[in-house]
Amino acid sequence: MNNMLNTMTLMSITTLTTPLIINLIFPHKTTKLPMYYKMAVKYAFLISLPPLLSFIHTGQESIITNWKWFSINSFNLTMSFKLDYFSIIFIPIALYVTWSILEFSQWYMNSDPNIHQFFKYLVMFLLTMMILITANNLFQLFIGWEGVGIMSFMLIGWWHGRSDANTAALQAILYNRIGDMGLMLTMVWLMINIGLWDLQHIFMTKMNTLALLGLVIAATGKSAQFGLHPWLPSAMEGPTPVSALLHSSTMVVAGVFLLIRFYPMMKDNNTILTIILCMGAITSLFAAICATTQNDIKKIVAFSTSSQLGLMMVTMGLNQPHRTFLHMCTHAFFKATLFLCSGSIIHNLNNEQDIRKMGGLLNILPITSSALMTSSLALIGTPFLTGFYSKDPIIETMNMSYINSWALTTTLITTTLTAMYSLRMIYFTLLNQPRFIPLLTINENHPNLKNPILRLTLGSIFTGYLLTMNIPTTYMNPTTMPPMLKMSTLLVTITGLLIAMELNSLTNKLAAPPLKHAYNFSIMQGYFTHLLHRLLPLASLQMSQYIATMLMDLNWYEKIGPKNQMNIHTTMSSYISSTQKGLIKTYFLSFIISIPMMMILAT
Amino acid sequence: MSALRRLGPFLREGGRRFLAGPSERSAGYGLGGIRHAGGGVHIEPRYRQYPQLTKSQVFQAEMLSATLWFWILWHFWHDSDAVVGHFPYPDPSQWTDEELGIPPDDED
Amino acid sequence: MAASMSVSRGIQWLGTAARRVTPLGARAASGLRKDMLPGPYPRTPEERAAAAKKYNMRVEDYEPYPDDGFGRGDYPKLPDHSQHGRDPWYDWDHSELRLNWGEPMHFDFDIYTRNRVDTSSTPVSWNTMYKCFFGFFGFMMFMFWLGQVFPSYQPVSPKQYPYNNLYLERGGDPNVDPEPVIHYEI
Repeated sequence: MNNMLNTMTLMSITTLTTPLIINLIFPHKTTKLPMYYKMAVKYAFLISLPPLLSFIHTGQESIITNWKWFSINSFNLTMSFKLDYFSIIFIPIALYVTWSILEFSQWYMNSDPNIHQFFKYLVMFLLTMMILITANNLFQLFIGWEGVGIMSFMLIGWWHGRSDANTAALQAILYNRIGDMGLMLTMVWLMINIGLWDLQHIFMTKMNTLALLGLVIAATGKSAQFGLHPWLPSAMEGPTPVSALLHSSTMVVAGVFLLIRFYPMMKDNNTILTIILCMGAITSLFAAICATTQNDIKKIVAFSTSSQLGLMMVTMGLNQPHRTFLHMCTHAFFKATLFLCSGSIIHNLNNEQDIRKMGGLLNILPITSSALMTSSLALIGTPFLTGFYSKDPIIETMNMSYINSWALTTTLITTTLTAMYSLRMIYFTLLNQPRFIPLLTINENHPNLKNPILRLTLGSIFTGYLLTMNIPTTYMNPTTMPPMLKMSTLLVTITGLLIAMELNSLTNKLAAPPLKHAYNFSIMQGYFTHLLHRLLPLASLQMSQYIATMLMDLNWYEKIGPKNQMNIHTTMSSYISSTQKGLIKTYFLSFIISIPMMMILAT
Repeated sequence: MSALRRLGPFLREGGRRFLAGPSERSAGYGLGGIRHAGGGVHIEPRYRQYPQLTKSQVFQAEMLSATLWFWILWHFWHDSDAVVGHFPYPDPSQWTDEELGIPPDDED
Repeated sequence: MAASMSVSRGIQWLGTAARRVTPLGARAASGLRKDMLPGPYPRTPEERAAAAKKYNMRVEDYEPYPDDGFGRGDYPKLPDHSQHGRDPWYDWDHSELRLNWGEPMHFDFDIYTRNRVDTSSTPVSWNTMYKCFFGFFGFMMFMFWLGQVFPSYQPVSPKQYPYNNLYLERGGDPNVDPEPVIHYEI
């Protein structure tokens, strides 16, 4: 049984590389490549199912170590895969979501001349994520971590002719680099103090707060937590399939996944847990506030991702890694659906992203509308949809735990806001009168558009149930609580829906927005980018410019070089010239110098 | 001569295309009016009206929503515990000594 | 690519312009050829006019950097405006840089390109932005501290205190002994 688990999981990862190799061997046969990529991901998904089923039945975990790279004293670097609860469950999910997204890209990127390259990037993105998830030592994890970062850079900057896309790609890579510092800090700390990078050995030792803080910084950068978040909404400059992949099953969850991987180290450290909890809470609130007034449909979904990532962080802070992981899995489905739906809408409306210029799409794009509704409902945690099975336990656990009361309050407010912005998006895109241009060629009958959306929507209805029913109960202990707390999740959501209804009906009145400052704060994304993206780069660039182009030259070529020489020489010569008076006495005096010189040399 | 005759169809077709001027297929190409996003059913663009929907499209959308509501309502009927609480929250003040296995005070 | 090409073309143009106007023999400070460098600091109105003409500017707009020894010579001091703030719909010669051919470039042009610093005006004043953002952040931090001091939890039974459940502190009669509460029986 164990052999089957190892072999098939490795086979599933290897399958992903076949189209990449085909492309290497036949670099010019590109017409059918997108199809090959899609099929490879599909087969990889199907191959990864038996290990999942066997894991659900037997609960057997395993570690594959098959190639030793080098070893220094006791320090071994091996290629090693960890197939445990997290990786075995997440691999099929990531593959399923990516399969749908690749099929969707066949429709969305159809007119792109480099579509095969786009697919190659997407599959490499997925492959690096697989490496990250299955890695059993920090080196392998780091390869996956950096691979995800660089592929996201390539994909966000896909339309590199646009300056905004370039800026967004640069932002993504720079913010991730700050996060990487954290990971490197932890790796170096482990190297110095423990001398091991294998996870199973690390878990037997203890890590101190500094090393764990490195992990937290890494997760902050990768998962776009408050402070390092602005790259996430900017990443919307990339093509929609990229956003879908980036925000559902790869990249942004990598940070959370890192923390989940290292939970045995973190569970006893209260300082770190509190930091994670507060950071998650502030992120989820901030992102939800920003999402409430955005007008770009993709920005709304992006901020909702940020908010959900905050929620995952909060759950990590509650020391509930398995619930975090569950939310990560379910989130992949409905977030991918949301992005594919917005992609369908954007493409059908001739690249219109502003929700104020949509409306009435319920009559025009029925499948997309149904899917958008379903996934939004799943996102806000409607009972028995996917989001409910992960979000409800999280909030219940929060209610029952001994935690920071403000973190609890913020999370509840965030849940309200989630309902608000989801309903606002539905209201503006699907309902009411159409506000787009009167002549459009809208068509959502292409199978490459329809099938992925339907498949992912079914996923976002059923997965939550399937996952919670099938994972070992040792990880999820049911709790009991007073009915008021049990209902609180539902209550805050319904409150949010009601407020959103009220606010949306207000928009018809053309009244000036109430609470001008709050409105401005929200629509300008908390002024974060306006303040920090202007101040910090200006300061550092100006300083480095001055040093590089002016001060270096000034100092080396002038002040220390020629000018200094000149100064020394003029002073010296002015001193010496006083002796040059043609007096024979002074010349004789200068002979005396030789006597002390000889005496000094002699002694 | 035969070589020239072989050019015949080419000239005929090319001349026809040339004389016919820009067709509907090539007209919007440069302007970006027609989206070449792939195959599937072709739907005629309409001015100031909702485009025609295909039957399968409507059916699938309805089916999806029906599945959603069936799933939610079915679970509310059979599994409403998950929303309203699995069992009442224990109130320790209501526990009797008998339940806790504490013998009565006067027992010696 | 286009950006670097146009920048290099701009430098070449500057060089040819400088060669046309300034006499050769100016000192080369570093790797640049001497004809690419700005000329000496203009002191007379005629020199100013010549320098302005060299940089394709009007004399009224032309304002050199102060002659403070940084060697910027007659290079015009342009306002610190980023390229991002320029009109996106105008038909610029270099649309990527939002720059026209032969237009004077800012001395720190590479700071103000479109993916770096943005100085365009904001809808909300700088002061308000400052206050709002740091107000929000400070408020959140304060509340987290408060939340840490008063955490939230679900008690399962009433709190029990020492000294007979704080009998004296709750205003009990010190002369009367409180009834001992026994939670257990042996």
